[in-house]
Amino acid sequence: MKAYVYMLPTIISLAGALLCLVRRVFFEEVVSIIASVSSVFAAFTLLFLPNHFGTFLYVDGFSKIMLLLVSVVYASTVIFSTTYMKYIENPLFEKRFYYLLMNLFAFSMMFTVSVNNFGLMWVGIEATTVTSALLVATENDESSIEATWRYIIVVSVGLIISLLSNIFIYSVSGTLNFGTMLNHGFHVDRILIIGAMMAIIGYGTKAGIFPMHTWLPDVHGRAPAPVSAIFSGILLAVALYVVARVLEIVNVPMVREFAFWLGLLTVLVAAMLMVVQKHYKRLFAYSTMENMGMVLIGLSIGKYAFVGAVVLVISHAFAKSSVFYLSGNILSRYKSKKISDVKAVSKRMPFTGYNLMFSALAVTGTPPFGTFVGELLIIYGVLKYFPTFYAFLIVSFLFLAFVSVNYKVGTMVFSESDDVKVKERKRVGTIVPMVNTILAFLVIFFIPQIQELLSKGMIR
Amino acid sequence: MSQVFALVGFFEIVLVLFMQWEIYTRKIITTFSVASYVVAAFLLYLGVSKDLPYVVALSIITAVVRGFFIPWYMKRCIVRDQWREREIKPVISTAMSIIISLLIVVFAYILYRVTFFNTLHLREGSIPMALLLQGAFLIISRRNAFIQLIGYMTMENALFLFEGYLFPGLPFIIEAGVVLDLIGVIAIAGVVVRMMKDSSSDVNDFDELKG
Repeated sequence: MKAYVYMLPTIISLAGALLCLVRRVFFEEVVSIIASVSSVFAAFTLLFLPNHFGTFLYVDGFSKIMLLLVSVVYASTVIFSTTYMKYIENPLFEKRFYYLLMNLFAFSMMFTVSVNNFGLMWVGIEATTVTSALLVATENDESSIEATWRYIIVVSVGLIISLLSNIFIYSVSGTLNFGTMLNHGFHVDRILIIGAMMAIIGYGTKAGIFPMHTWLPDVHGRAPAPVSAIFSGILLAVALYVVARVLEIVNVPMVREFAFWLGLLTVLVAAMLMVVQKHYKRLFAYSTMENMGMVLIGLSIGKYAFVGAVVLVISHAFAKSSVFYLSGNILSRYKSKKISDVKAVSKRMPFTGYNLMFSALAVTGTPPFGTFVGELLIIYGVLKYFPTFYAFLIVSFLFLAFVSVNYKVGTMVFSESDDVKVKERKRVGTIVPMVNTILAFLVIFFIPQIQELLSKGMIR
Repeated sequence: MSQVFALVGFFEIVLVLFMQWEIYTRKIITTFSVASYVVAAFLLYLGVSKDLPYVVALSIITAVVRGFFIPWYMKRCIVRDQWREREIKPVISTAMSIIISLLIVVFAYILYRVTFFNTLHLREGSIPMALLLQGAFLIISRRNAFIQLIGYMTMENALFLFEGYLFPGLPFIIEAGVVLDLIGVIAIAGVVVRMMKDSSSDVNDFDELKG
């Protein structure tokens, strides 16, 4: 199969970005929707094609899953943006620039998960910073601009660490080509171990992993809802994809334990910080951090826990993007991000209210959502390879996170208010999150296919 | 070669120490430009003496992008506002910065000797480590966004110097990608910093960004 077929989703998003430069009314919206939906179809087709390992591309089952995930969340975000952008009173730039950056952002993420080189993966991850930074500042107020600055500086410094890790890996292997390293193998020495640990910290910065997570709540809190959704749903997962690739080539217990500890600390810190949150978008941001911590634990353990991590990434992407879309609906109606200011959502905005409750349950790992299965597989892995105490610790903090999120969302959705007039009708802004929440549930029926993709590289 | 590297490294450290003690943004940008030209000159020397055309190309890119373009762009973004032209309220006072930045050099040397030295076996390896830590300190000790950006690029310069010296065979496409990304980051950062000026000069009063 020709290499360009495997690049189709990436190329389509780039073409969409370039077409956004054309000045015509609504043209950028139409083009972006067509590009994103086409990339979904292209990525879906790849699931049934054999793997492709070339000089430039490395597309196996894991890459295919990530490509499909990125394209689906990208498509839902573009569609949701068409209604949400109307609520931004003083946007930083014209609408076409918003869509241009959104398409480029998707392009850089798809590029990262398809390339066969750690150096280019680094370039792709850094490119996501360049393309997404201004999206964070779309609302054009003081704190969103400050959050953008924090994002640029913290993430760039974190990525310097991963650039250093690339140098260390190159010094040992003599190449940065992922396929070559995997096939030929090389002597594992101390410098490679240090390099791998630096990669985990560096890319972990982008994934909101403790202790370099500080940009995450600021950006998720201040960015417009669709941007928060795409950040939380897929950007962080793409950064962890690179970590997974590093763990694949540096398969050393010390490195895996290091990743496990960082994941564990991320879960603990995020769960504790969730208790004291007063703003709902920041609350959801910490919930993302907690989920990414669980994913890192799964990646560090491997085997069933790895499958669990992938299932968690997929269902979390759908559920969390839904949560952020809905938080955008709430913000546009209540004009406040404080949990205490938002009352009786189920009465004023019934579609949004009930959907938010279900999505919140999904992101906190409640059955029957895919997140539950993912977390279950990861905890099974922890029980198998670590003392029971660690599994107990993780479950306790997951429970804390569950109570924090659902109690706070519950008070927003089911509380009483004097003004209970229903002011909501079914429209794109309510349907898109509903679809994503349903997808977060449907993931459980596709676990065999996910496993097949991870082990055989394609669905037969 | 190692003596040239040590000399260049020493000069780079002196320049960064000057940045730590300076409060005028323009002078810091100019110092960064000089530091980048020094790195470019070293890479040129390395490329010519070892007959590595990629390294020569890299030195030209370093000189054009880091030595000329980025400092020129940053200076263009600076308008003559008091808060932007000089650091009014650094997080750490200038006197304390001098002491800490000197201590960082010593700390980097000790840290390198007990960690990487046994594996890398390179005596001058503590130089890039000192530069990395100095860059990080510049970021955390200043409020001025431009100076923070210079701190970030100082860290990148340290890596270029280190990697150019130790592993000159790193694929050129990756080096070019890194430089392109740097241009992107600086361009976006320039836009963001401009907006910060339009909005507010004090970044402390953001309740929502706490916790």
